[in-house]
Amino acid sequence: MLIEATGLYKIYHEGTEAEVRALDGVSLVIDRGEFVGIIGASGSGKSTLMNILGCLDVPTYGTYLLDGVDVTDLSDRQLARIRNRQIGFIFQGFNLVPALTAYENVELPLIYRGISRAEREEMVEEALKKVSLFDRAGHRPAEMSGGQQQRVAIARAVATKPPVILADEPTGALDSKTGLDVLDILHWLHKDGATILLITHDTGLAATAERIVRLSDGVVVYDGPRGGAPL
Amino acid sequence: MKLGQAFKIAYHSIAAKKSRSFLTMLGVVIGVAAVIILVSYAQGQNRWMQEYYESMADNSIEITAMRWDGKDIAQPLYEYCLGLDEYVQGITPFGQIWNRLIIQYGAKALDTDANYDNWYDRPQVVMGNQEFSLCKAYEIVNGRDLSYLDVTKENQVCVLGSYTAEQLFDYATPVGKTITINNLTFEVIGVYQERDPNQMQNLDQLILVPYTLGRVLNNNEAIQSYVAKARSPEATKKAITLIDGFLGGLGINDANGYYYVQSPDEWKQMGEEEQQVQQRFLGGIAAISLAVGGIGIMNIMLVTVTERTREIGIRKAIGAERRSIVTQFLIEACMLCGFGGIIGIIVGYIGTLLVCKQSLDIIVLPSVGIIVGAFFLSLALGIVFGLFPAVKASKLQPVDALRAD
Repeated sequence: MLIEATGLYKIYHEGTEAEVRALDGVSLVIDRGEFVGIIGASGSGKSTLMNILGCLDVPTYGTYLLDGVDVTDLSDRQLARIRNRQIGFIFQGFNLVPALTAYENVELPLIYRGISRAEREEMVEEALKKVSLFDRAGHRPAEMSGGQQQRVAIARAVATKPPVILADEPTGALDSKTGLDVLDILHWLHKDGATILLITHDTGLAATAERIVRLSDGVVVYDGPRGGAPL
Repeated sequence: MKLGQAFKIAYHSIAAKKSRSFLTMLGVVIGVAAVIILVSYAQGQNRWMQEYYESMADNSIEITAMRWDGKDIAQPLYEYCLGLDEYVQGITPFGQIWNRLIIQYGAKALDTDANYDNWYDRPQVVMGNQEFSLCKAYEIVNGRDLSYLDVTKENQVCVLGSYTAEQLFDYATPVGKTITINNLTFEVIGVYQERDPNQMQNLDQLILVPYTLGRVLNNNEAIQSYVAKARSPEATKKAITLIDGFLGGLGINDANGYYYVQSPDEWKQMGEEEQQVQQRFLGGIAAISLAVGGIGIMNIMLVTVTERTREIGIRKAIGAERRSIVTQFLIEACMLCGFGGIIGIIVGYIGTLLVCKQSLDIIVLPSVGIIVGAFFLSLALGIVFGLFPAVKASKLQPVDALRAD
């Protein structure tokens, strides 16, 4: 199993009147090569779940094994390594470094990984070509459209060839046409062997996933094939 | 991550945000330049005051030397000082006569023992040589000064201070007239200019006669006092040591006489006191400008790094270790503050030259100490305050850093 989360809780202000249970006991098992759509209304806890699965946040309780390793036990340094090698992030707000060009943004995780300059050049080129943006390599995010920025973010996520790609509302800031382009790229990556977790509130997008996990108020209310999902 | 790559990331980050980097650097430049200019200005003023006091100090040396057996010291001392030309401009005996003297011109008479309202109204007959006016800072306004021949030939001539001239002659010309001192006749050969009334010893009531006439005027009493004029404050110190050694070498000791050599140090003392005040003032200025410059640098670094918390979140999300983030910000801070510091030094240097030339009319170059100090201050503050928020942000969970605006 690639992802094995058991009894995940994320509780803010625990024990006070302002207590918020963003995750209220979520268990989830995802195998290598799956394309999972995680859906739910806003506030259902799906982003919190993605942040924990992506090692951007830690659960209040529960265990999370990524590729058999208990992530909650790891040091900051080991977590940085996992984020760099195992996981590719695609955010709703793109989260590109505004000061850097498309090329430099894609190059960044490779630099942190310690890859040599010549190899980096090859990998960045490959990733940018995958999203058909190699001709915009020298542009900064502000000089590109939302769709282009998201494609740069995708290129950055896949440049390190991580086994897991986490996409959190990747089309949320895009019009439907460019949104579909982005979705196409995700499916293409999936065919290429990547495990995809697509977090969205857009049931149309989720309908393209093989498996649907539905969250509501911090708990899983449906986990099964697309066919039987209450969309 | 290798250091070279850390430099690459830092350089990209600086080059990509040109206006932000420029403003950050401007803060550093202003801070460093302010420290250098303010401290150098205070140092320049300090020097200016010191030069003023040195110009007020007249570099004179007071010598008192006497042998009980009356053996002549004046001549050997004079000759010795001629040999000290490098340090000493001139030397004159400074003999005052304390006996009662009656000075007469026609019907007018001045009596040294009469009651005077002010001590400085009392006429004073002084015995000196041709260098008297140099050593005691008198200037001839009419006629001529004492000459070497007047002294060696024991000519019965005198030069009058302005006050004495006025007392005896009113507004008539004294030069060429003959006066008597205790019935000895003296030809008036010159009159000294009135001295600055603000000067400490405005001895305008003086009558200068060749010291070689002391024999007849002063009961043959030997001269005990001399005044020499050195070329500079440093020469004064040197000459005092040399003359002191010379007098010791003449064999004068407690058994057969006495001698001492000193410098009247009123101005020197005032200068030293002033210097201490200035030193404290300088310390205050330096502290304030360091604080002002430092706060400026601190502020700009805090703001620029804090606004990049989100960027730190992004970097962490794609796999940056805390160490690489901290290294990146450290290098950025060093590059910005180092470069800004160098420009600040140049601006401060030019600014110091301009400000000091304008307001003090002297050339002041910032001291190496203050330049090095200001540079390392900017570097240290930049590192501390650039690093502190970066370290803080790098400790956040990436998701929290990403949420920052």
